[in-house]
Amino acid sequence: MIEVLERRAREAKVPALPTKIDVRRLNFFYGKMRALNEVNLAVPANAVTAIIGASGCGKSTLLRAINRIFELYPDQRAEGEIVIDGRNVLDPRYSLSILRRCVGMVFQKPTPFATTIRKNVAFALSYYERLGKRELADRIEDALRQAALWDEVKDKLDASALSLSGGQQQRLCIARTLAVRPEIILLDEPTSALDPISTAKIEELIHELREQFTIVIVTHNMQQAARVSQRTAFFHMGELVEVGDTSQIFTNPSVPRTQDYITGRFG
Amino acid sequence: MIVLRRKLADLIALVFAAAATLFGLTWLVWILWTTFVEGAAALSPSLFTEMTPPPGANGGLLNAFYGSAVMVMLALAIGTPLGIAAGTYLAEHGRHSRLAAAVGFINDILLSAPSIVIGLFVYELVVRPSGHFSGFAGALALAIILLPIVVRTTDEALRLVPNQMREAAFALGLPVWRVTSRILYKAAMSGIVTGVLLGLARMAGETAPLLFTALNNQFWSANINQPLANVPVVIFQYAMSPYDEWHSLAWAGALILTIFVLGLNLVVRFFARRGNK
Amino acid sequence: MSPPSPAAPRSGVGADRLFQLVTVGAAWLVLLILGGTAASMAWGGRLAFETFGLKFITSREWDAVSGNFGALVPIYGTIVTSVLALVIAVPVSIGIALFLTDIAPRWLRGPIGIAVELLAAIPSIIYGMWGLFVFAPFMAVNVEPWLNDHVGALPVVGTAFSGPPIGIGLLTASIVLGIMIIPFISAVSRDVFNAVPPALKEAAVALGSTRWEILSRVTLPYTRSAMIGAIFLGLGRALGETMAVTFVLGNAHDLSASLLMPSNSIAAAIANEFTEADTDLYRSSLIALAFLLFVVTFIVLTAAKLMLMRIGRVQERAH
Repeated sequence: MIEVLERRAREAKVPALPTKIDVRRLNFFYGKMRALNEVNLAVPANAVTAIIGASGCGKSTLLRAINRIFELYPDQRAEGEIVIDGRNVLDPRYSLSILRRCVGMVFQKPTPFATTIRKNVAFALSYYERLGKRELADRIEDALRQAALWDEVKDKLDASALSLSGGQQQRLCIARTLAVRPEIILLDEPTSALDPISTAKIEELIHELREQFTIVIVTHNMQQAARVSQRTAFFHMGELVEVGDTSQIFTNPSVPRTQDYITGRFG
Repeated sequence: MIVLRRKLADLIALVFAAAATLFGLTWLVWILWTTFVEGAAALSPSLFTEMTPPPGANGGLLNAFYGSAVMVMLALAIGTPLGIAAGTYLAEHGRHSRLAAAVGFINDILLSAPSIVIGLFVYELVVRPSGHFSGFAGALALAIILLPIVVRTTDEALRLVPNQMREAAFALGLPVWRVTSRILYKAAMSGIVTGVLLGLARMAGETAPLLFTALNNQFWSANINQPLANVPVVIFQYAMSPYDEWHSLAWAGALILTIFVLGLNLVVRFFARRGNK
Repeated sequence: MSPPSPAAPRSGVGADRLFQLVTVGAAWLVLLILGGTAASMAWGGRLAFETFGLKFITSREWDAVSGNFGALVPIYGTIVTSVLALVIAVPVSIGIALFLTDIAPRWLRGPIGIAVELLAAIPSIIYGMWGLFVFAPFMAVNVEPWLNDHVGALPVVGTAFSGPPIGIGLLTASIVLGIMIIPFISAVSRDVFNAVPPALKEAAVALGSTRWEILSRVTLPYTRSAMIGAIFLGLGRALGETMAVTFVLGNAHDLSASLLMPSNSIAAAIANEFTEADTDLYRSSLIALAFLLFVVTFIVLTAAKLMLMRIGRVQERAH
């Protein structure tokens, strides 16, 4: 693994990328319990940022704050700012619809809707845009191609989404998210419920997507983080401990705790 | 010795439990057997072609079947959407709203409330002010009987939908009503339909609420603004009367009603079990 | 955020608000219906309450001609039939619940469970007809003479079991009612029994307990308040039952210590007499009866629900 990283570091001297998501002084509460403490994080555009840390360190919480999915639960609240393209999206006046159109999320467990493959992909699309039949079919094909699923399902678009394998279902969920052309994609442990082959396919997918999208991936699998990301942020007990270029974090972390986690001393 | 005593106690309990079950089943068989025998004797095609007859004459139950069907369907039309709406509120807000907790509680009380009181309520609400009995009032009373059943089953069915599916739908940015109607209802559909069908079976057999609302109508009537013939009240009046012909019609009506209600129950439970596999 | 491509969402906040309004409104409707029922019964009965005052509850009179009405006989009949029905139904229901959760082989549980549930699905008017045409004559010919001869002569209990063997009466009505509520109590009992943590039962099994011991020493004590809740639920149903009782109770406004005598219950009185009630006071008295029934049932059902809630996620059947 070290060789991969060193090669990557040599190949791609990561240029200074503009910041897409700027998390400022974020605090998050489940009821009275504080889950995130004064988090400041700049997520670069068109790159993959991995968030790693032990269970319960707040990595998923951070993700769920970005698209405000936590607002489904009344006892969860966030304080602070998350600035995307100059606007604070945590502001209650910011439209959830617009936010979630721009920020897509893929969950740990594949959640295809109980309908056809075609309708799954079109689901949000037909809500946001008025498209003719031809256009809709094209967009669906685009999304499925981008998700590397087209070849496998092109002959059975009207089959039930539930008939797909786990890995295919997860790619379908990615296609569904890509269909509305977001700018940011949040991935919450997207492969932890999948077999190694599906995992590899999705990691490849992430690699291809990063040119067009800003990707934030939460993972408990450090090797995965090292494989797919350019930036890595390490969280511990609700605090951002260290963030930096992936190769640097994994070969030469500056904070001892990071070092401990990487080497498996805990977590 | 102690072991023997304990084993004896266990055996007695076993025998008692089996006997209790046999006891319960015996009544079921006796009641159903009676209904089938007496009802079958009274079955004839005229049941479905003739109206309810005057005392001492022969006839059929056509107007009663029609009236019951009309009222039950009207009650379904009124009660089902309201029940689904209220059930949706309970499911989506139940955990954190005091209104939802209160409504859930009261709904369960309403579920087991005496149906005769419901009938009197509709009497005071509709029949008295309008000055006459009506099929519409009957349908309203039946709708109130149906409502808590649909609320309960919708609530339960929606709660069964995994939260992740909700989150996935909301993460796509869709508004609440769309997520609910397109995703949640679809996932909960079989549960909701089960509730509606079971409610239908319950409504079909209710007599007391109709006594003061739709009453009965000896003649053919399609006017829901007037008393409307219906099967349960016909059975009641005819059974309590001294006329043999009326008794025989009552049994026929009882048989048809029983077949309908039990058949519906069995079908629903059969599909519910299959759906769960 | 960069301007959203093509159209902004077609509908959103407005439709959501409407949706919210509809669901909240429907929820409030449930409350209103119950409240409305209570209020309209109180309102309809006010003439009777004003005229008779508290004596309404204690008076045995029921005279349509003189306009003198009292609730004592219907109340008596309601309570006696319901309590007796419970006496019959509770042990049987617990026995059935035990049989179905523990004793019966797995393949038998489904069919028998469904059969028991069918007992609940049978419309109560069928119970009434069967009671009137089949069971009451049966009681009159086979059971009541026997009771008269063998139990009627005993001291104390004797008076309860002596009387004309006409079949129609408190005893017959109680039995029919009891059979009716068996499936309700047994269904809830079954759920309650199944809600006992398996670990508790397994621990008892590991100690060598017999089935009966597990039931009496682990299950029943653990589920005590839920079982009381189940019994109250059955009671609530029994109190309000109309058709099963109307046919076989006799509609006689007589207060008698004998169970073999006909009597009246609140629901039966209303069902039998409401359409013939020709004066306002008559009607108001019947509605006042309904109000009393509603209040008592409400209290019993509330108590039942509170007790059932204690055992956590016990599901009551939607009957």
